[in-house]
Amino acid sequence: MNLPEESAIKAIVGHQFPGGDYAIAHWENFLLTECTGAEALPDGLAHPVALFHVPILGAGTSIAEMFELGQATSEFSIGIESYDWEIYQPLKEELTYQISGKVLDAERCQHEDGRLYDRISFQFDLAHGGEAVARTTIIWHYNRGAR
Amino acid sequence: MSIEPGFEIPPWDMPSVSRARMRTMAAILRDPNPVHWDDELCNSLPLGTGKRTINQGPLGLSYMVNMLHEWAGPESIRRIYMTFPKIVLSEDAVTAKGIVTALNDDGTVECDIWLERDGEKLLEGKATVQLD
Repeated sequence: MNLPEESAIKAIVGHQFPGGDYAIAHWENFLLTECTGAEALPDGLAHPVALFHVPILGAGTSIAEMFELGQATSEFSIGIESYDWEIYQPLKEELTYQISGKVLDAERCQHEDGRLYDRISFQFDLAHGGEAVARTTIIWHYNRGAR
Repeated sequence: MSIEPGFEIPPWDMPSVSRARMRTMAAILRDPNPVHWDDELCNSLPLGTGKRTINQGPLGLSYMVNMLHEWAGPESIRRIYMTFPKIVLSEDAVTAKGIVTALNDDGTVECDIWLERDGEKLLEGKATVQLD
């Protein structure tokens, strides 16, 4: 088992992603919404499911980079603990959002069966025109196999 | 309609989770995890899924978003929190369900929400929803 040092995992707390802008294109919202099985929303509203990838890509990172940051041993070693989406304003298509993101927390934990995992929290903030639009928190488990 | 704690939100059905939609989702998300699109690889892993691919977490969550939108409108969700104790597989028939647990002074309500397959809870979470 390739077990990163616990200190190396804790050291990523506070890591800031570059940040940046992101606008949800109409085609993107159309396809995303279709994937959920819903009809298109009215008035240029974007489906909230965009609150997974828009913060990640808009903050200048990627799922792959987030896996690497936590030294995931493979894509299969990642488990989802929770997603928390706070929505202050509805998302809209073609509106440019300013997005920042960081590693909020990282700690080594143990499953009941003794397997180790690193519990890593990422937080992203979306704003438009200086007003907060949404905050998302992703908590993933980076499973490290048997102890 | 009067909403009180205990009110059951009208459920939302996904009759068959589509692997084609998972592939589209993976492309949009730039999600490199092949468990969402490579059925041969899924079959080779000790996951017990056979050739069925694993639905993305946000897609499972989105079924509960759809339930809440149909009930309270497309701008109604103020917060949604979701945990993922079980996986959702391609071809699964799943149903999003929810119940109102509390009324807030600001006109929002708190809800417990979950996704079921044959009565088994796969995803579980909470939502804060604005009612008109």
